[in-house]
Amino acid sequence: MSIIIEPFAAPQKKANRLKTSSLNNKLVNSYWSDVFGAREQGRKVCWYEGVAINPLMQAADMAWVHGEAWSALLAARNGEASSQAAAENGAYMKELCSYARTSIGCSLVANNRSGEASGASFSDALNTGTLAENCPAPDMLISAYPYCSTGQQWDEALFRLFGKKVPIFNISVPWVWGNKKDAVYLGGSEFKEATAYMVRQLKECIKFIEEQTGKPYNWDRLYEIMAYTKKAGQLRMEAMELCRVKPAPASFFDWTTSLAPVNFVPGGPEIVDYFEQVKAEIQERIALGVGAVPNEKYRLFWDGIMNWNKIGWLANKFAGWDASMVAGRYTHMGFWHEYESINAKDPLEGMAINYLVCPINLSAPLMIEEIIKLCRYYEIDGVVLHAARTCRAFSNPQYLIAEAVGKRLGLPVAMFEGDMVDESFYKDEIVNSRVEAMLEAIESRKRMRAA
Amino acid sequence: MSIETLFATLEQAAEKPLESARAWKQAHGTRVVGSFPMHFPGELAHAAGALPVILQENHDPITVGHGMIYPFYCGYTRSVVDQVCKGDYDFLDAIMFGDHCVQVLGAADVVRAKLPGTRVHFYQLISSMSDPWSLGRARETFLNLKEGLEEMIGHTIDDEAIRASIKLFNRNRQLLRELYDLRRSGAAHISAKQMQLAVKSSMVMDKAAHNALLETLIGEIEARAATAPAGVRLYLSGHFCQAPKVGVLDMIESCGAIVVDDDLYHGQRFISTDVEEAGDPLDALAGWYLQRNLKVPCPTRVDQNADWDGYLLDAMKRSNAQGMVVLMAKFCEPHMYYYPLIKKAFEQRNVPHLLIETEHELTALEGLRTRVETFVEVVKRRSSTRRAAA
Repeated sequence: MSIIIEPFAAPQKKANRLKTSSLNNKLVNSYWSDVFGAREQGRKVCWYEGVAINPLMQAADMAWVHGEAWSALLAARNGEASSQAAAENGAYMKELCSYARTSIGCSLVANNRSGEASGASFSDALNTGTLAENCPAPDMLISAYPYCSTGQQWDEALFRLFGKKVPIFNISVPWVWGNKKDAVYLGGSEFKEATAYMVRQLKECIKFIEEQTGKPYNWDRLYEIMAYTKKAGQLRMEAMELCRVKPAPASFFDWTTSLAPVNFVPGGPEIVDYFEQVKAEIQERIALGVGAVPNEKYRLFWDGIMNWNKIGWLANKFAGWDASMVAGRYTHMGFWHEYESINAKDPLEGMAINYLVCPINLSAPLMIEEIIKLCRYYEIDGVVLHAARTCRAFSNPQYLIAEAVGKRLGLPVAMFEGDMVDESFYKDEIVNSRVEAMLEAIESRKRMRAA
Repeated sequence: MSIETLFATLEQAAEKPLESARAWKQAHGTRVVGSFPMHFPGELAHAAGALPVILQENHDPITVGHGMIYPFYCGYTRSVVDQVCKGDYDFLDAIMFGDHCVQVLGAADVVRAKLPGTRVHFYQLISSMSDPWSLGRARETFLNLKEGLEEMIGHTIDDEAIRASIKLFNRNRQLLRELYDLRRSGAAHISAKQMQLAVKSSMVMDKAAHNALLETLIGEIEARAATAPAGVRLYLSGHFCQAPKVGVLDMIESCGAIVVDDDLYHGQRFISTDVEEAGDPLDALAGWYLQRNLKVPCPTRVDQNADWDGYLLDAMKRSNAQGMVVLMAKFCEPHMYYYPLIKKAFEQRNVPHLLIETEHELTALEGLRTRVETFVEVVKRRSSTRRAAA
């Protein structure tokens, strides 16, 4: 007699995504159209990586291209492959940060067309082919990478790729490690010193921008932008906190698709309006008892960066398991989440604080405390740890996080490998088996508690 | 003491660094301060009366460490995590470090978690080297490090003590550079393995004791008539944190090649730059930190005044090398970012090079041998073609 094992049924249920996401797409499309046309409008273009320093550029009426956002956009629209192939052909290896590889690959593609690695000639290659070739070449580079050494080296690679002709400014973001006993989240003498160091560098960066644009810096415009940014940050945090209810009306996947307005979309009334609408939709769902998944049975926490090729896929996959991904390190511990620290009339210190406590820049003990707070607040049943193969910055503390949530909260975990924009590292069957095992563990704990 | 005995003594420290440091601690009662590569000023820890030891990748298979770090990390990082999980660092009084490679930072968090009773301190060195504030920031960082050491020992470290340590460390670098000069000129036959043992032992031994051994060694080498070694002259480049496996070095030299120079961390990179002995010692150390990146550019720094690819081409000329073997530790991101520029520069100048990716586990040596043998033949052929054309 043969035993027939039923293969795991493919998820049939679909995630109940926020409707306001479509407004986000409009903001994103409008932003990129603006970037693609920046050169024609006579605006300077700055490429930057790392934390959200775009308000600094916006106040100077420049266009800005966030390298990670650009790579993520390409991946989300299936346009990353040609750039990644170009990078590999240029001897940039597959184990290198896939954001960087994609961005470097775009530059190589366009450089090869124009025949000369310089900012000026790069622009000649624009608008001639794929989405990857639409991005205007930089007039300047600003590097502001927290924690991850590879980010700063990525910018340096671009600087050299453009023949060392494009001016570059480096902001060195100190890692919040904590040698001294007074080190706490947002506090302690070292954090204070790091904040002051960041403010000094931001001021120097503004001088650099003034030199590049040839115009005095528009501080009033920065204050205005930061007032909108602060408000958007506040509304986003309030909306996320509302998702404590059961069923949670929105998921981590909704919040990842809502990152653009607090990451690189221009600060203005549109981003405030966006989060007002998101919050309203969430309040409406709460009133109606509508959840982000059709039948919320498990509440999960996502640790790690997003897999941009697979947002919809993963949202549906977890919905199929009746699992709502209620919160995550990436979405809930960054992107102006410490909005209260921002004084819109004197914003540099608050900006520095938000940069310093972004989701990768806290050392493990501080980061773990924040994750544990979130797991308790959202009544999490299990933690999914997405090990992005080429983002060691996010993957670094994951064994420590897994150990801590297991020992201190009794939560089971599922760890699997993937990547932010290189989908070849994602193995679906491994995800299935690991997540199913975790859900089994959650079930068995529930049964034990009930008994 | 014979040359062979001297190298055996160096090998003992280099290959068993933690045993050697533990024995020194027991014999002399000094504290031991571990650090990660690459820019830690051991002079300050020495001036605090401690033995500074640069923590090394060891040769043990990685076992329990797998439970704390993913497999897609460089061998050095994985080995450090494995060692701390096995309790190998329990005898250290402190671990202090300043470099920001993202993989090492991941290991550092694990190290601190596993050693709750040990002072595991991070003093982040600015890695952007050509900013107007780079020098000042480096000095501030070294001042913080000095204060951390003072807190550990319970009293201040005076400038004279730091200057004395600087002098001692400079002497060590100078002696090691003498060995390099002897090899480069052909006046002595020092194998790649022997050179590594000399430098690696310096990272883990007391400097005065190491200096004494080196002085004797150089005397012995100079006294012994050497026949100029034969073989294709190769330059080794790469490996910023861990020592290349001795088996790889021996294999390269068994393929009809001799290693004549390198920019390895366990080589020229470590000993390239002396510290100013007069004046304010913290100014001197900050200056040393910036200068050494101009002497031997490092891809973990960003520096508009330094070009590693150009440096390597010049270094090959200076050492009269015919080809370069690039030893890239698998998953080493700084190296992966810079390698395309080196490849391009070398191809444009028609200078042969071979890329070898290395791993903690030495499993593919015979496959590598075939590639190195082929490369040596390519270099020979290109050299003879060039001679014929000249």
